[in-house]
Amino acid sequence: MLSRVADSLYWMSRYIERAEHTARLIAVKLDSMVEQTPEDAAASWARVIQALTGVKAEPAHVDALTITRKLAFDRDNDSSMITSLALARDNARQVREALSNEVWENLNRLYLRLAPVTMDSIRVHTPARLFREVLEEMHALEGVTYSTLSHGEGWYFLELGRHIERVQQLGRLLDIHFSAAQDGSTVPKYFDWLVLLKFCSAFEPYTKQYTASIRPQKIAEFLLFDSEFPHSICFSVDRMTEALARVAPGAPPARRAAVERLAGRLKAAVDFGQVDELMSGGVAAFIADITKQCEQIHKALYSSYITYGAETVL
Amino acid sequence: MQHEVFANTEDFGGPDIVAAPGRVSRPGVDVPYAGYELGKPYDEMFARDGKVRLPYTTVDSRVATLPLEELSRRQQACEQSFLHQGITFTVYNDNKATERIIPTDLLPRIVTAKEWDRIERGLTQRIHALNLFLRDIYTDGRVLKDGVVPRGMIYGSKHYRREMRGLPVPHGAYVNICGSDLIRNEAGDFVVLEDNLRVPSGVSYMLANRDVARRAFPGVFRAMGVRPIEHYPLELLATLRSLTPFHEDVSIAILTPGVFNSAYFEHAFLARQMGVELVEGRDLLVNDNVVYTRTTSGLKRIDVIYRRIDDDFIDPLIFRSDSALGVPGLFNAYRAGNVIIANALGTGVADDKAVYAYVPRLIRYYLAEEPILDNVETFLCREEKSLHYVLANLDKLVVKAVGESGGYGMLVGPHASQKERDEFAEKIKADPENYIAQPTIQLSTAPTFVGNGIEPRHVDLRPFILHGAETKLVPGALTRVALKRGSLVVNSSQGGGSKDTWVLSQ
Repeated sequence: MLSRVADSLYWMSRYIERAEHTARLIAVKLDSMVEQTPEDAAASWARVIQALTGVKAEPAHVDALTITRKLAFDRDNDSSMITSLALARDNARQVREALSNEVWENLNRLYLRLAPVTMDSIRVHTPARLFREVLEEMHALEGVTYSTLSHGEGWYFLELGRHIERVQQLGRLLDIHFSAAQDGSTVPKYFDWLVLLKFCSAFEPYTKQYTASIRPQKIAEFLLFDSEFPHSICFSVDRMTEALARVAPGAPPARRAAVERLAGRLKAAVDFGQVDELMSGGVAAFIADITKQCEQIHKALYSSYITYGAETVL
Repeated sequence: MQHEVFANTEDFGGPDIVAAPGRVSRPGVDVPYAGYELGKPYDEMFARDGKVRLPYTTVDSRVATLPLEELSRRQQACEQSFLHQGITFTVYNDNKATERIIPTDLLPRIVTAKEWDRIERGLTQRIHALNLFLRDIYTDGRVLKDGVVPRGMIYGSKHYRREMRGLPVPHGAYVNICGSDLIRNEAGDFVVLEDNLRVPSGVSYMLANRDVARRAFPGVFRAMGVRPIEHYPLELLATLRSLTPFHEDVSIAILTPGVFNSAYFEHAFLARQMGVELVEGRDLLVNDNVVYTRTTSGLKRIDVIYRRIDDDFIDPLIFRSDSALGVPGLFNAYRAGNVIIANALGTGVADDKAVYAYVPRLIRYYLAEEPILDNVETFLCREEKSLHYVLANLDKLVVKAVGESGGYGMLVGPHASQKERDEFAEKIKADPENYIAQPTIQLSTAPTFVGNGIEPRHVDLRPFILHGAETKLVPGALTRVALKRGSLVVNSSQGGGSKDTWVLSQ
């Protein structure tokens, strides 16, 4: 596979994951805010803003639609849903020949549908419904990606992009909630933990495992270490490890080793992590370590397979 | 854009049953042809007396049963399909980028089996002569010594590549992919307007148009015995393979300028359809005169490059040094015989608008045959007598700059103002060798859906010729449409659209 194509597939997938994450957080928040007091809703929105933009926001009584516009439809916001989708589409357009028609058309249609959306049309459309529909479309996109592309090298680059991005987003979300629980500034309440599960589409899978008793320690255990739930750190790390073993099959062993060593270390960290040890304040440090390792894997992936100097292989 | 965004807008309509002809439409009278004015040009659908031409009766009887709203809905479905597939180009206006689809018209243009037979034979003959001519001017130059073509016109052409002299090309085939523009004159005969021997585009629109037109009128399509064209990518692949001695295990790549090129959709489309790599200049590198692509597993050798980049930009070491699109060292790899480039370099010298005028003579010279397809009458301003005629008759002529394409550097005399004509006359006088002129040929008109009915619009016809070990034409073409009423400019960069072309099997 051409290195440039691998690069575009990887980023296309990262941006799609980012857009989906944004849509999911907003959909859940718009749905759940009606059950909260204005103060709780403001604190919760502040966490969403921080999770999506990386900027710590002070709780403020801002109109939910204004926040939604900024997070979802503001093109000047580098991480808004529409910006992510536009970048995903730009990358997809550059590798049209490596994608099926179904994948391209699903993504293109979704983008063209959302591109003209304005504040007025959000108001008319009951915003929560719009985001639920967007999520449905994104699930359809994930479905056609799974079922119309060969699960070869290109597909594994998509997997890599998706799961590296997912670990980063998930990590940030967990960090915000658990740090807030510790520093005591705006302690998440029962309802906030419930919403956190919903942010990760984890509410029902969680209750199946632990019943409806919502406890931060169990939530941490589930979202960090459950090997079967697709939005857990452990699950994503497993997928990344598998994908890394499948890409660039013909690359020289030394080059492969550089990447696989990092992947092995990450997997070990997650496989042997113990939630009991973390609960006494170590969640944030653990997540920071995982996130850093993902960044190293990203760099190694690029220097081994994508941006390597041609003179090194001639 | 509407906000009923989840409605299925790609619904082309239900079963499309072909009834026995119930009514024969009259242009200028019956809906939806009420605004259909027959003029001096040949009309593809209606004869001079207003009767529907025989090949169009099935289409007519179907269209006549559809209310205007239904036609309009199907037209929108065609456009929607193009939009979703990404068959668009980007227009930059006030720093704002807007995506527009290449307009497509749902009504097919029909070419009979007999007409196609002549086109096929004529273009085959033409591409043979042009390839012999290219081989000649890049080797012995016999045609120049014999005085058939003026030496200065060839050696002085900016598209003549000295670097190609004496370089052998497989099967003597310099032009492997050709798109020739034909028009139908007032008498109803197809004549050649232009040969595109460099990097002709449009074949993906031919296939995309087929896709939507067939869905818009499935019953009519089935009933008429339209010849298939879907095997074009396969034939192209076979042609590219035939250029190397090893036919199976050969690695082929399409070289594209990248995603910002207006034909990028086509490059990606062909790569996908043929199952070959789509590469940009930055993906390729040359080492020891061998061309490689950078892959995740390491470097991979490339044997054949179907390039969609002009000569000038292909290798900054040999041609334009400011080109960021090309590959340094590519030409040397080519000269060393380690890579095949299709089309060969330097083919542009033969689709020059001045050489065009000599093509009938070239056919007689190389093949000792009479041209099957005529040229449009052409005046070479480099010839004293023609120059006087052209300057005196600017109001009746179309004047074109030699070596320009895409409708640029052109004066359509009858439609220009006196001031525009005077200004253009100065340009001609300053550099007569750079201009040719042709009578304002009335392109034929074809029925085109215009929103509130069907009206005649000018069309041309671009079939695609493949030439490797053998010569092949897929029975179809891109019919380009000048969408503005009365306009003769069909280029998509200047308000043109396109429609499907149905070549009938009998």
